Amino acid sequence: MDILIGGILLGGTYVLMALGLQLQYGVARIMNLANGEILVAGAFGAFWFYSGFQANPFLALIVIVPLAFILNWGIYRYLLSPLVRRAKSRGQLEVDSILATFGLSFIFVGLMLAVFGGEYFSYGYLERAVIVLEQPYGLNRIAAFCASAALCIALVLWLNHTRSGLALRAVAVNPTAASLVAIKVARTSALAFAIGGAVTASGGALLSMFLTFDASIGVIFTLKALIIVILGGVGEIRGTIVAAFMLGLAETAVASLIDPGLTLAAAYLLFIVILLVRPQGLFGSRS
Amino acid sequence: MLEIRDLSVFYGQHRAVEEVSVTVSRGEIVVMLGANGAGKSSVLRAAAGLLPVMNNAAILMDGRDISHCPADEFVEAGIALVPEDRAIFADLTVLENLKLGAYPKRARQKERENLENVMSLFPKLEERRRQKVRSMSGGEQQMVAIGRAMMSAPAILLLDEPSLGLSPLLCGELFRSLAVIRSAEIGILLVEQNAKRGLAIADRGYVLENGRVTGSESSEILSSDERVRKAYLGGD
Repeated sequence: MDILIGGILLGGTYVLMALGLQLQYGVARIMNLANGEILVAGAFGAFWFYSGFQANPFLALIVIVPLAFILNWGIYRYLLSPLVRRAKSRGQLEVDSILATFGLSFIFVGLMLAVFGGEYFSYGYLERAVIVLEQPYGLNRIAAFCASAALCIALVLWLNHTRSGLALRAVAVNPTAASLVAIKVARTSALAFAIGGAVTASGGALLSMFLTFDASIGVIFTLKALIIVILGGVGEIRGTIVAAFMLGLAETAVASLIDPGLTLAAAYLLFIVILLVRPQGLFGSRS
Repeated sequence: MLEIRDLSVFYGQHRAVEEVSVTVSRGEIVVMLGANGAGKSSVLRAAAGLLPVMNNAAILMDGRDISHCPADEFVEAGIALVPEDRAIFADLTVLENLKLGAYPKRARQKERENLENVMSLFPKLEERRRQKVRSMSGGEQQMVAIGRAMMSAPAILLLDEPSLGLSPLLCGELFRSLAVIRSAEIGILLVEQNAKRGLAIADRGYVLENGRVTGSESSEILSSDERVRKAYLGGD
């Protein structure tokens, strides 16, 4: 039972970072390997606000979200959109964007190392135990989960029930068709990339409430987000949410039943099995 | 009125379309006849703003030159294309596809009215409004594609082989709905493999051969033209 609840709490915060990558990959068609660094930057942001101004991480989001949005919009506009215009096929864009964002991730790691140094960071906000079904859980985990859930619900409602959200999904499904209904595909892609970055950064800020992090940990989160996106199916919001919980549960189960050191290995085992058995993801449709 | 002037389209070194001029007015159906590879689809794609317009060519909508505008402004100007592959949003529902059709600013105010019109034109879509388009038959997908184009409140509708893959029964249904669309003062530029059906419904027609217009007549004259009968009507 404690594995179930612990897994759900962890998965709930994974959902956010994975939805961020999903928007960037599914809509803007950029496989962003610097996604994890944006997440870590969000975590540093929350840390900085907490230690510098005693501001709680939720308040920090008010600043982190717009900053991440602007930063990611700039990355797309100046670094990635030349690649998009140049690419003759989706495959070529994928290779180019993977190389470009891989390089970008090292720049971010270097910058964060220079600013914050190489040690591990954590802070104690809401470090109280809450008893759920006779088991103690950190209040910070529960608060992070609730905030993450609220943001996810807002995001999904926006995607499903507004004209601009629908336009984003249209570009994800078929960019040519989108231009035939007067959607500005380039601008919509930039918007999706920027929102994706903001969502990932807020995921980082929430994760930092209960996770110890350092400047170079981003790559692990990039890989986790990647696993979730592939597992759930590219462009599948519902699949992403289910996959994030699956990963959270799998990691928690392996950590408490076998060995905490094997969590990443377990995540990859899950990933490889899915790639072999159902490459389009759990919810993805074969195209 | 849509006016295409001296349009040429190149694919690398290969010239697919050579100085083609075509006009379509509101409330008429114009058919484009031609063999495979004659350049019909290229003309439609260029008229929807999907291909660069070069040299002295121009595309005008109601007299305004939109040659060098991005594709979304062609839609805003009133030109809606249903390409041969239909370009529908397969993973979205019928209703979402139709709503996206009303994404252009010109269509937003009349979205509700246009939706009612499309639903009465294709009652099947009303029954299936919550269904994902991917799971529908070819004929139903074609209705979604045309319905979506109608949602953008077009002045001119460009249709590339709309009857492709449809049964004769559905085909007849489709052509009847084209007549309804024409009566709503919308112009239709139709590329059609079934020349007999195309000429039967059209007011005028162009004949395209090797990327050039070699004939431009009323449908009656084209139907009785010896060359056209031989080449496209299976001659008798």
